Amino acid sequence: MASQYAAELCMLLVEDNFGELFGRIFSTLHRYERLTLQRLVGFTRISESRLRAALVAMIQHHLVHHYTPLEEGVTYYNANMQAAYYLARSGKILEFVEDRLGQYAANVMSTIMYLGHAQVSHLETLPELQPDAIQTNGFREGQEDLREVDDDDNGENRVNGMNGMNGVNGANGGDHMPEQSSLHPTLKALAAHGYILRVREGHFQSFADNVLDIERQIKAGDSVQSLKGKKLEEYVLEKTGDLLKERLDGDLTRGLLINGVPRGVKRRRLNGALVEDTKRARFDYDNDGEEDDENEWFDDEVPMESSLTVRVNYEKLDVALRNRRFLDLAERDAPPETAQVYDFLLRRIEYQTTKCRDSAEIPREGEEGEQYSVAIPLSSLSQDIDPYLDLVGSLGPTDVSSTNPRLGKRTFDETVNGDDDTHLEESAGSSGNRAYEIDQHLSLLAHPPYSLTSKRLSGGLITWTIEFRHLARKLRHLELERIVEARYGDVALRVIRVLQAKGKLDEKRLQEISLLPFKDLRQVLASMQTGGFVDLQEVPRDAQRQPSRTIFLWFFDPDRIRDSILEDTYKSMSRCLQRLRFERGRLKEFLDKTERSDVKGNEERYLSEGELERLRAWRAKESLLLGEVARLDDMVAVMRDY
Amino acid sequence: MASAGTSGGSVTELASRLYDACISKFSADHLFYQQDLLGLDIVPKSDLPLLLQCTQSLVDQKLFRLLQGKNDRLAWKIIPREDAEKLQNLSPDESLVYNVIHSTGRSGIWVRAIQSRTNLHKSILDRCLKSLEGKNYIKSVHNVKFPSRKMYMLAGLAPSEDVTGGAWFTDGVLDENFINVVSGFIEFSVSKKSWYEVPASDKARNKRIKTTDGSATVRSKDAAGQREYLPYPPGYKGYPTVAALTAAVNQSGITPVRLGEDSVTQLLEMLCYDNKLVALNNGEVYKSVKNPEQVKARQARKPDEDPSVVEDRLVRNGMTEVPCGQCPVFNLCVPGGAVSPENCEYFETWIHEKSPLSF
Repeated sequence: MASQYAAELCMLLVEDNFGELFGRIFSTLHRYERLTLQRLVGFTRISESRLRAALVAMIQHHLVHHYTPLEEGVTYYNANMQAAYYLARSGKILEFVEDRLGQYAANVMSTIMYLGHAQVSHLETLPELQPDAIQTNGFREGQEDLREVDDDDNGENRVNGMNGMNGVNGANGGDHMPEQSSLHPTLKALAAHGYILRVREGHFQSFADNVLDIERQIKAGDSVQSLKGKKLEEYVLEKTGDLLKERLDGDLTRGLLINGVPRGVKRRRLNGALVEDTKRARFDYDNDGEEDDENEWFDDEVPMESSLTVRVNYEKLDVALRNRRFLDLAERDAPPETAQVYDFLLRRIEYQTTKCRDSAEIPREGEEGEQYSVAIPLSSLSQDIDPYLDLVGSLGPTDVSSTNPRLGKRTFDETVNGDDDTHLEESAGSSGNRAYEIDQHLSLLAHPPYSLTSKRLSGGLITWTIEFRHLARKLRHLELERIVEARYGDVALRVIRVLQAKGKLDEKRLQEISLLPFKDLRQVLASMQTGGFVDLQEVPRDAQRQPSRTIFLWFFDPDRIRDSILEDTYKSMSRCLQRLRFERGRLKEFLDKTERSDVKGNEERYLSEGELERLRAWRAKESLLLGEVARLDDMVAVMRDY
Repeated sequence: MASAGTSGGSVTELASRLYDACISKFSADHLFYQQDLLGLDIVPKSDLPLLLQCTQSLVDQKLFRLLQGKNDRLAWKIIPREDAEKLQNLSPDESLVYNVIHSTGRSGIWVRAIQSRTNLHKSILDRCLKSLEGKNYIKSVHNVKFPSRKMYMLAGLAPSEDVTGGAWFTDGVLDENFINVVSGFIEFSVSKKSWYEVPASDKARNKRIKTTDGSATVRSKDAAGQREYLPYPPGYKGYPTVAALTAAVNQSGITPVRLGEDSVTQLLEMLCYDNKLVALNNGEVYKSVKNPEQVKARQARKPDEDPSVVEDRLVRNGMTEVPCGQCPVFNLCVPGGAVSPENCEYFETWIHEKSPLSF
């Protein structure tokens, strides 16, 4: 994560989101690693008081880790690259939360993101989270600011952290008495899904600091005095893991999950299944549901502890976003009904998966073990799935030769009654059949070309799981293959797949398998070698190493390519952001005008027709570039995070 | 003199009797050892020197070919009379060359290898080869593995797979058109068997049910325009096997030669690498990824058509969209440098192309 281009990108992201001051501090911290306040003053040439204020705000946003060793008493600061990078993903996360839990939840989420972390009691007082404030533009402004790039002005506001936030919305805040009708349930829902977590003290220190601190603590303790050598090491390692987990654990889902499903979700499903859009099966918590549903949901609700401080749980959201990519794979090839069944399975799994991978570093190809998701029993899936989903008609018959009696009967029924309801009730009633049909759909996905699920039998119960590592690898290869295809054409794609399946091959064998004419093959191999996608290994047959007595083997190293593409992706992302800044610079005066406080929000009134046109063009350009950054982030996620 | 004559005559006679016995009792390919010949009971009293004389005379008449069997023992093979006549007419050099070429059978031999084995001068060798080729005893063949080498084999033999490269080569060159035609045919026929075509009478029903569903509009449009296909459930047994596909290809009349199962398997594997088919049960049966409608649509498309309408490409990703992904000077790009995001001409055109409201 600390490569040149990643650093450049993180710097740009910080600068774009929080202004130049933060950017300068951040890049200094990255360049010189850990610094004390005094040295930071020296390197950045920012006055100490400003620096202190900025650091406080950056800590609030988790952009900076700080650590004070007990014996020295001096605080060190260092940059948190991961948090800076996640700024690029914020838009995607908000969109996802909106899709899952509705508009209001997305608002709450974006406010928490905007504040870095926030106390529940503070969220209660925020005007933009009041139910009726949603309509006013106060909040939307805030949200846009988060995604858009700020000029200095906004950056200053952020420096003051929460106060700045209030200042922006001060105009329309304060009048409302806090009506906590939907904030707490929404927070509960976010917590139950695991999208937010409790802030612990350990979150403010870097991972290494936490580990070292704990190790020191253990070694100073009484229980290790009797141990020596290897035993000691082992003991410390084990204990560190436990303590680390304890320290960083901010899990809020405890007590909110019932049988592996967030509270409230299931009940809503049973009653609201008909009204809701079953394709995506959103669990909306906002106001468009039926009245009694709402009441039921709120009745047993204990409000969130108001002293609780929450932040966004990026790890969990990565899991959710990854599941969405899996679903995309299913949707692309499988029938929609099957994809829907898969969606329910994925959702169940998501609730019980806390992070994408166990290890922090990116695993090497072929060296990682398989990691299975929790197994979901078939019976619980059949409860979830919408009984009106047509599972039978979306698969062909097993046996083609005999004219299918089932289908025949159906058609007959239909012609007589002109109504399907009778049949649907039948199939919904017999749950055994239903479970079998779901099983069929999942089995379809378990087979190639999908291979998206895998079946387990535990104690006579059929359960379904997902092979996470296998699928993550599949996604990764897909991204690489897309690039290869776009750059070198489909012939290259075939060659790459052959090399991947067979390992190292000489040209002749490669030709035999790929059935390509020599000329094409050589051309495509040569151009891919220039691009760094394939490479050649020489195996001399004797010590002279003459070319004529040497075997040349082509190979494709997915790890190496992945690393270089990842770097390229970081670089492309920063180029997009830099270009955006340049484009903004070109239109600076005009944009300054549109952002004047009297013009903003009243563009129609103050701007001429031509200016409005220009503004629209600019917005299109901006969204194009920012959209592209988000698309590139998808690739980074696949190659680094999943 | 007389005794020598009688002994010579008897040897010739004995030899021809031996030859006839060999022809009638053994197959043409049999490898004769000493025991075999003595076992025929033609040479009296197992007289070894006499047997040696007989075989030598047969070898001289080109009716026997002398070979070295296991453990360096002498062995012989019979040559049919008509071939022997041919060989008798050859000059000693020519017959030397002929024997060397004969020994390599269907795999053929490189001219340089003949030279090193016969130790003949190049010009003599060339003359011999020319005359043998002129008499139509040998032919020159093209080897796929070593396209630049001049190779010869007996005129009556068909080159082996190693030499021709298998069914997919015509005259030593990979026959691309042929491969495309056959693979297209195979994909389509696999596809027909891997997707269930919904009978027309069922379509109305499907439309109905889908109205509770989000995908209702999509589905009904499909049903109206074209045929609808459903995947088979997991237990389905109807996916085509290699044998069935081979038979289908050979029956279809698109191949001038009969294709073997090996060749078809080779092609099927290639199609798997193209992500057009997938192998199930360890390559026993094959299933197609796309349904027949999609396969047809893709095959109907001309290769030189605008790539933007091609949808069966893998879905695009960020890196293929952004100009940086295709940029030839990406490595040189530095803010403030000679190539920089500020002066990038690719970005300029890209933004103008993509944003609908550009000015």
